[in-house]
Amino acid sequence: MTLDHETRYIVLAPDCTMTPDQLVRTIHTIDADVIVKETCFGAVISGKTEAVRKVLTEVRKMDPTRIYSKVRGFPVGDQRRCRAHHGSRPGFAQLEKEWKDLTMVEKGLQCLERGEKVPPIKKKGKMPVKDLKTVCEEACP
Amino acid sequence: MIKIAQLSCGTEYSAVQSEIEAAATAVGAKMVYPDVDMEKINSAVDRFGFNPVSPQLKLMIARAMALADKSYEADAVFISSCFRCAEAALVRTELRKFIQNNTRMPVVTYSFTERTKSGQLLTRMEALVTIVERKELLARERQVGLTAGLDSGSSTTKAVIMRDNVIIGKSWTPTADIFSSAETVLQEALAQAGVTMGQLEAIGTTGYGRFTLGKKFKAKLVQEELTTNSKGAVWLADRQKGEATIIDIGGMDNKAITVRDGIPDNFTMGGICAGASGRFLELTAKRLKVEITELGAMADRGDHTKVPMNSYCSIFGIQDLVTSLAAGHTVEDVAAAACHSVAEQIYEQQLQEIEVRKPIIQVGGTSLISGLVTAMEHTLGERPIVPPHSQYIGAVGGALLSSGFIEGH
Amino acid sequence: MKVLIVPPNSLILFDLVERFGHEPLSVMAVLQEKIESKEIESPPINVTVDDVKKGLKYAAIEVPSGIRGRLAIYGPLVDIAEAAIIMEDAPFMFGCVGCARTNEMMKLLIRKRKIPLLELDYPANEDEAKAMVAQIKTFLEGLVK
Repeated sequence: MTLDHETRYIVLAPDCTMTPDQLVRTIHTIDADVIVKETCFGAVISGKTEAVRKVLTEVRKMDPTRIYSKVRGFPVGDQRRCRAHHGSRPGFAQLEKEWKDLTMVEKGLQCLERGEKVPPIKKKGKMPVKDLKTVCEEACP
Repeated sequence: MIKIAQLSCGTEYSAVQSEIEAAATAVGAKMVYPDVDMEKINSAVDRFGFNPVSPQLKLMIARAMALADKSYEADAVFISSCFRCAEAALVRTELRKFIQNNTRMPVVTYSFTERTKSGQLLTRMEALVTIVERKELLARERQVGLTAGLDSGSSTTKAVIMRDNVIIGKSWTPTADIFSSAETVLQEALAQAGVTMGQLEAIGTTGYGRFTLGKKFKAKLVQEELTTNSKGAVWLADRQKGEATIIDIGGMDNKAITVRDGIPDNFTMGGICAGASGRFLELTAKRLKVEITELGAMADRGDHTKVPMNSYCSIFGIQDLVTSLAAGHTVEDVAAAACHSVAEQIYEQQLQEIEVRKPIIQVGGTSLISGLVTAMEHTLGERPIVPPHSQYIGAVGGALLSSGFIEGH
Repeated sequence: MKVLIVPPNSLILFDLVERFGHEPLSVMAVLQEKIESKEIESPPINVTVDDVKKGLKYAAIEVPSGIRGRLAIYGPLVDIAEAAIIMEDAPFMFGCVGCARTNEMMKLLIRKRKIPLLELDYPANEDEAKAMVAQIKTFLEGLVK
């Protein structure tokens, strides 16, 4: 992307021991020129890309499998995206759901850290008609 | 600040979200998005009974539930989705019914394209705001004092003078220059009423030229035509209490409005092309070489089933007409077919967006074309009521509602 | 490598792609540029009328505007993607990913590019989540320029 700055969500997984308030205070102690806003999931930070990435790297170290991030289109505090101003935009519901499911992702990352082998998941298909027919015939002889 | 809840899909990706918000801001309202808990979206869809594939439509349903459950407060509802999206069209219509059945909020639906601009949405938003803000005024059933109503429409300008709930003067003229047309009809109506401009206690303006005329005549009421016309229609038809559907086939756009006790709770406005408007009937009359006032009776003598005509476009419609005449059809049959073509399009385009409630009141200048009323009767299965002075609904509504601003009343 | 994620606004996929050393291609960054564009006097919310017209490259005029507008954002991302991860049945697709038809079209555009592609289902439980994370890691580690 061509812009030299970015806005990011820093999302704390539901079972992360750090609170959004502690996260924001930690970010303030990092020597990087970013704007920070506390949110219910963690924080939104904005600044030069380099500074934002520096904060992210530092913050992640504190709880690598429970701190997540993605970029955000709208700048911090943008009225058009402000929940208090208009009610929530569709993306909010999405973030809410993904945030809840981070506990599952976290378990996956922890498995990898421990070097565990994870068996692949087999796709569930529909029952073949032939088998269903047999079941029906058995049920209603 | 009036809060208009937006239930929509695709607005932000069709470049129309900022147009919607601009229209709302222009009428002193703001768009809001009912907050819903993510966990409640699936249960809302289950309760609603229609499970759309597109997740944004599921969210629309959950948001409507939040309004019905009063877990989110708003004053009016705007339901909108992309034009030509079948799934969204089904959800849009069903959600409109759901909102009407479960809340008392006024609702408007709209299907947009990327060409939709705030101007097209302005009258709709303004009407939503009027219904919320002027509830008491709209509940007024009697005109008091001496007042005038001016309706500056796209085809004609109308004026009405009323005194103590009686029409004492009226006049209309084709709209040319907005000012001079209004001046002409107002002077004629005043002369007929035997009163002078100075004696008027209040003036109400409506229609396309309402703002311009409102300023010039220092009107006490400047109000969009959806609510004003509804009021005029129920007053003229003496159906002020209970439910009704008002159909107003205008020169440039058509309105279909459902009312409860004279106050609109749902409306649609517009039309894809002039093929479904009064303008098409004007063109038809011209081509058949009769006055527009004679077209209705001529159509009543004809048989519309003999002439195939159903065009969304006035140009193609006239082509159908020319072809039919060339094929030897009578002018009466062609006139009847033209009226049916308009009626069918009103049915297909406008009346699918609202819940038609009986009685049906047909108003506007086109309601004087009896062939069109007959065509509406055939389409709807019931003859619409055409009240006396049905072309003056806007002006009557203006005179009636502006009397609410007379001091001492 | 530039890895396109589907859903293109997913926090989980964005994070994992970045965590495992690649550049996630998401809609958020594209939208940021549009939103902050200085040339536009009144910033549009998400797309402009011109964007919707650009969507005609991917879908014809009879296709609803919201699909064309969304494809105008996704299409160029598909064009520059060097790999992609598609997660099916994600239960949280609202806003830009709220239109099922657009999402299907986007997946077709990706498949037609013949770039390295990982297709998996959104996990239903912890075991599936573990498998998903492992699969994504293996896929991303195997991507070499």
